[in-house]
Amino acid sequence: MTEPSSSSHQEIFQESPSASPSEDATIAPRMKSKDLPELDEAQPPEYTIMDEFQSLTPLREYQMDEQALLAESIPDRPLIGPLVPLAMLREEYERGSQGFVRQIDWLMSHGHIGIRRTKGDGDCFYRSLAFAYCERIMHAPDAELAVMSAISSIEATPALLEAAGFQPLVFEDFYEMFLSLVRKILAPDENGKVLTPAALLGAFNDPETSNSIVVYLRMLTSAQIRSDPDISNFLLSPETAEFVEPRVFCEHFVEAMGKEADHPQMQALAQALRVHVSVAYLDGHSSGQNGDEVTFVHLDKAVGTVPGAEPVMLLYRPGHYDILDTRSEDPMDYYT
Amino acid sequence: MAVSSRRLQKELAEIQKQGTPVGITLLSADDFQTWLFSVEVLGETVYAGEVFALMFRFDGQYPIQPPAVQFLVDEKYTSPVHPHVYSNGHICASILGNEWSPVLSVVAVCVTIQSMLASCKKKERPPDNDRYVRHAPDNPKKTQFVYHDDTGIS
Repeated sequence: MTEPSSSSHQEIFQESPSASPSEDATIAPRMKSKDLPELDEAQPPEYTIMDEFQSLTPLREYQMDEQALLAESIPDRPLIGPLVPLAMLREEYERGSQGFVRQIDWLMSHGHIGIRRTKGDGDCFYRSLAFAYCERIMHAPDAELAVMSAISSIEATPALLEAAGFQPLVFEDFYEMFLSLVRKILAPDENGKVLTPAALLGAFNDPETSNSIVVYLRMLTSAQIRSDPDISNFLLSPETAEFVEPRVFCEHFVEAMGKEADHPQMQALAQALRVHVSVAYLDGHSSGQNGDEVTFVHLDKAVGTVPGAEPVMLLYRPGHYDILDTRSEDPMDYYT
Repeated sequence: MAVSSRRLQKELAEIQKQGTPVGITLLSADDFQTWLFSVEVLGETVYAGEVFALMFRFDGQYPIQPPAVQFLVDEKYTSPVHPHVYSNGHICASILGNEWSPVLSVVAVCVTIQSMLASCKKKERPPDNDRYVRHAPDNPKKTQFVYHDDTGIS
């Protein structure tokens, strides 16, 4: 990609719509990132003044070119939704891309009949993975073993973060939030209650809990990328498609909220959490191997996973991740 | 206790224990709403002899969302003349907006802003300073700056 459009020095004053756009666009130094004394070349500031304080994560509609995907940007969509039949997603594409319809039919005929939709706020990969990870532990044939194994994996992560240079101060609250949620799957809390599936869904729709877990997974992803040469030697900037330093990549595309995940982030997080992740790629046209309609990307190289454990299943459409399921709705007792 | 107060309490304890980096001094942190630091640039700098005050305002979203950070402008302090600092004290810096990350702390922000001043070669205001200051909201977080390294996001 080229330099951003330097001549479009536009300001949008919601409070005074008559303000005319400035015409000058002289090059001025710009601040880059944390702890960086040097400055990059850049343009003068541009801004929009908001009447209401909005989310810091503008939706990336340029990536959401499929009509149905725009539904993800509805502000009141829950962070993680209820399980619904995949047929509902099919309906949204029936008047649009037949390629998507064909791929959805293929998924349904192969047992993937449910979808749990995640808000399209740029954190959808991390939030989807976290929820599916917890739910998979909860429903494991041997839940006790699954919880113990998850706790031991999670308890190994602060050392990784410290090795990457993160102060405990900045991650420990988020770490404890994540760990305590996983513990509650089996261990009763102070009220003698263990985490029910409904409470898990509730926790992931509580912004403070949900975002804290997303923050921790972002930091963990960053730490893993920085420490793993198999990943850190092959990082491309999503903006320029050129090789970038791990530190720059992590600061710009991993640690900040709302920055979407691509393959390196997925690979790193699967490794750090020791979990297998399978992602079904829905793009409306390409096919997988053996004449399959859908390509699955398997992140299954993670060391130390529980043998035989079911992978976490995600559904990818350009610019967005949801959770894929072999059930089409939450069980009847889910919300009791 | 909310995540934000818990985190700020830890940061404050760390500042009281470890002190602050050279050129940065805690002026006040009486609650978990507003903190004030003095910032000066040491060594060879266009800001020699000048001392500025950085004001942090926190809401319950910190540190998942950034604090509102600006230079204090009152009878005692002024805003540094810098291409990305407006005369009302507002700062255009991506780490205070869409590149904010909870890995940053209050002290890390102070250091970054200090570095931004330290590398300035020529004292000048942003070209649109006057108009921005006329329309600017009280809270700089209500301004959505456009950062030029982020193509496609505005």
